[in-house]
Amino acid sequence: MTATVRLVRLILRRDRLRLPAWLVGLVGLMAVSAQSIHSLYGTDEAARAYVATVGDNPALVMFAGPGYGFDRPTSGVVLVNETMLWLALAAGLMSVFLVNRHTRAEEESERADLIRSTVVGRHAPVVAALAVTAGVNVAVALGVAAVTLAFGFPVAGTVALAAAIGLVGMAFGATTAVAAQVAGTGRGAVGLGSALLGLAFVVRGVGDVRAPALSWLTPFGWGIGVRAYAGERWWTLAGLVGFIGVGTATALALSARRDLGRGLLPERPGPAGAGAVTLHPVGLAWRLQRGTVLGWAVGVFLAGLVYGSVADDVETMMADNPQLADYLAQIAGASLAQAYLATAIRMLGLVVGGFAVASALRNRSEEAAGYAELLLAAPLSRWRWGLAHLAVTLVASIGLVTLGGLGTGLAYAQTSGDAGQLVTMTMAALASAPAVLVLAGIATLLFGWVPHATPAAWAALALFAVVQLFATVLRLPHWVTLLSPFGHVPSVPAEPWRILPLVLLGLLAAALLGVGLVGFRRRDLAAA
Amino acid sequence: MTCVISCRALTKWFGATAALDGLDLDVAEGEIHGFLGPNGAGKTVTIRILLGLIRPDGGTATLFGDDPWADAVTLHRRLAYVPGDTNLWPNLTGGEIIDLLGQLRGGLDPARRTELIDRFDLDPRKKARAYSKGNRQKVALVAALASGAPLLILDEPTAGLDPLMEAVFQDTVLDTVAEGRTVLLSSHVLAEVERLCQRVTIIRKGRTVETGSLAEMRLVSRTTITAELAGDGGSLASLPGVHDLRVDGPRVMFEVDHEALAAVAGRLGELGLRSLVSSPPTLEELFLRHYGDELEHGGVDHPVVAPRLEADP
Ligand SMILES: Nc1ncnc2c1ncn2[C@@H]1O[C@H](COP(=O)(O)OP(=O)(O)O)[C@@H](O)[C@H]1O
Ligand SMILES: [Mg+2]
Repeated sequence: MTATVRLVRLILRRDRLRLPAWLVGLVGLMAVSAQSIHSLYGTDEAARAYVATVGDNPALVMFAGPGYGFDRPTSGVVLVNETMLWLALAAGLMSVFLVNRHTRAEEESERADLIRSTVVGRHAPVVAALAVTAGVNVAVALGVAAVTLAFGFPVAGTVALAAAIGLVGMAFGATTAVAAQVAGTGRGAVGLGSALLGLAFVVRGVGDVRAPALSWLTPFGWGIGVRAYAGERWWTLAGLVGFIGVGTATALALSARRDLGRGLLPERPGPAGAGAVTLHPVGLAWRLQRGTVLGWAVGVFLAGLVYGSVADDVETMMADNPQLADYLAQIAGASLAQAYLATAIRMLGLVVGGFAVASALRNRSEEAAGYAELLLAAPLSRWRWGLAHLAVTLVASIGLVTLGGLGTGLAYAQTSGDAGQLVTMTMAALASAPAVLVLAGIATLLFGWVPHATPAAWAALALFAVVQLFATVLRLPHWVTLLSPFGHVPSVPAEPWRILPLVLLGLLAAALLGVGLVGFRRRDLAAA
Repeated sequence: MTCVISCRALTKWFGATAALDGLDLDVAEGEIHGFLGPNGAGKTVTIRILLGLIRPDGGTATLFGDDPWADAVTLHRRLAYVPGDTNLWPNLTGGEIIDLLGQLRGGLDPARRTELIDRFDLDPRKKARAYSKGNRQKVALVAALASGAPLLILDEPTAGLDPLMEAVFQDTVLDTVAEGRTVLLSSHVLAEVERLCQRVTIIRKGRTVETGSLAEMRLVSRTTITAELAGDGGSLASLPGVHDLRVDGPRVMFEVDHEALAAVAGRLGELGLRSLVSSPPTLEELFLRHYGDELEHGGVDHPVVAPRLEADP
């Protein structure tokens, strides 16, 4: 582990903007949430009213948590229900990216060999990456605790909430450290790491709705299980610490048995010549993105199946609680199940937005890696080259959204016995496709005009997600929600279809893509 | 004689640093043109301009008489390029990449492909991530050499090759030119340039400091003379065109300008010449002269320009 400290300093130097951005984003989100919840639900009476409206709603259980402390509601209980899961998810994503960036992805550059050739211990790079990730998670936890305490939330619950968020984040850092040893490439490692994160998120949701034992298979279950502000159970945090320890030890053991730059999965020889598909620019783009697209397809379809299969429980719940049903029927003009399904499908849309950004930025990463130079020095125009990857982005984004709807519809049709739901849900999912494509457009616009600022596309996605997920709790004015393309998507099937906004979003996406490519045609090719 | 590549007073800025500062380059049809300069001199930047990947800030560049930026796609049908840092898609095999690049350039001759893969001893079934730097370079070289493109632009193509492969490369390039193709070869390997190139352009800090045929450059340069004399060699110093005279007993060593050679030879005879070694300047000496200069003065004062191509017999 020689030189770990020096490597830590190197990471801090390289990520001197990235790390503060995550920190400010996460803590800032907590600050505005805590402020808003303090002012809206500061009294126990207001908190009771909150529980009366949202309590027992499986849709919210799925996307918020099991509602510990709903029997004696306080503003802290509301805070946990509204923020904890999402912040833990964001901290998890941050950890997945960070760990991969400084382990497996780094090995793809010759830098890693150079670093390893100096006086650096075999384990030092993994330990350094995990140390930095742990440090950032601690910083997030401290920041979350500080802003929450500032609004007068009780100390014990705040400490539990903040520590759980940091520990869940770090738990996914540890799983990614293991994934980084197993996967063949950095792209594969980040895919595996985020797939585990997504799986844990969905399993925890289903567990809390249907079979609580399942939740305890995931770090989220242990994190929420600390019951912040509702009679803390500190031992769950110890469970998370143990999980992180086991993950770290596994990663270190694997890294000692593995060649630098290779995964544990074996490499096979490939074809000696190119097939017809690879020879076409679009075919090549598909070939390069195929693995990612297929991974996402499986993930989105399974998530849809899970969300759809739970929808029926909503109806059961409604029978138990007619007041709640009446209430929701009034506000949404739709059944509880439909409201839930609309929410679920919107979530899937946002998730596919993540794919769209990553896929649209493929143009940039191919350029930065120097692959674009080889092709553009051949008689291939910048238009055709750029459009080839975007064609994959567009088709795959629409396909993924459809698959999510298909999964949801299939499961819901099966449990509800109404085959028509298959079509209804698939169409409903398609409604978010134009908003997803706007994200691809934003990424392409940045690629064309400010290639070094393309990470801002992720910031846009994060912003839209926050607007989407926190609009209610933050009491955001209506116009703010309209800043997000997802704010214009009708909540089908809970709401009737509105076609015009979708057409306009589609046109906006096309315009962004076009202007982005025009910019790319006009600028110098820029290496990393 | 037609110019395939012609650059006039090219400038390119990256922020506050000038990567190119008035660069001239002419490459005639059918020649192998050496493009020399130390690291950071601007060779790659020039090539990227010629490929229409970046745009110059000033000056003009033409390729086959057309603008490399505006007519990039049509021009690229007539050239093949091997980058200095060959980065290949890690999950594609070498064979696939050769086919891909060949197909984009309008197809490649399968027999030639097989022959070149054989000559370069390349395993086309390996994924690019498993190739060494030299093998990645071979992939790009095979793809370029197997294409029928009339112009090859090679940016330090042998930087990662072993001596055996370097020899294969040189033979293949000579074959290529025998077919009437043109090659722009950027390189630091002076022995390679000396063997392959009829004409060279030497650049420094983004400027052309010398261009012309190697033979002409030797003419305008100094020859090194080592002689043994019966008489006193000290008086040679007073002759015009003699530089750096060193006298060591009967042995003298000095450099002499080409035009002064006849006069100096006559004088050596008068001084009782016993033995004589005369060495024409190597490319390395030509090259180092410009950079030795740089070490002393820290800048280019009067670029030495040999007679241009048009004056060539
Ligand atoms: N994209 C870039 N951004 C900033 N500076 C660059 C860039 N590309 C090249 N340069 C600078 O231009 C100069 C010439 O570089 P280059 O053409 O790569 O040299 P070489 O002759 O070794 O190929 C160098 O000083 C280099 O640092
Ligand atoms: Mg170079």
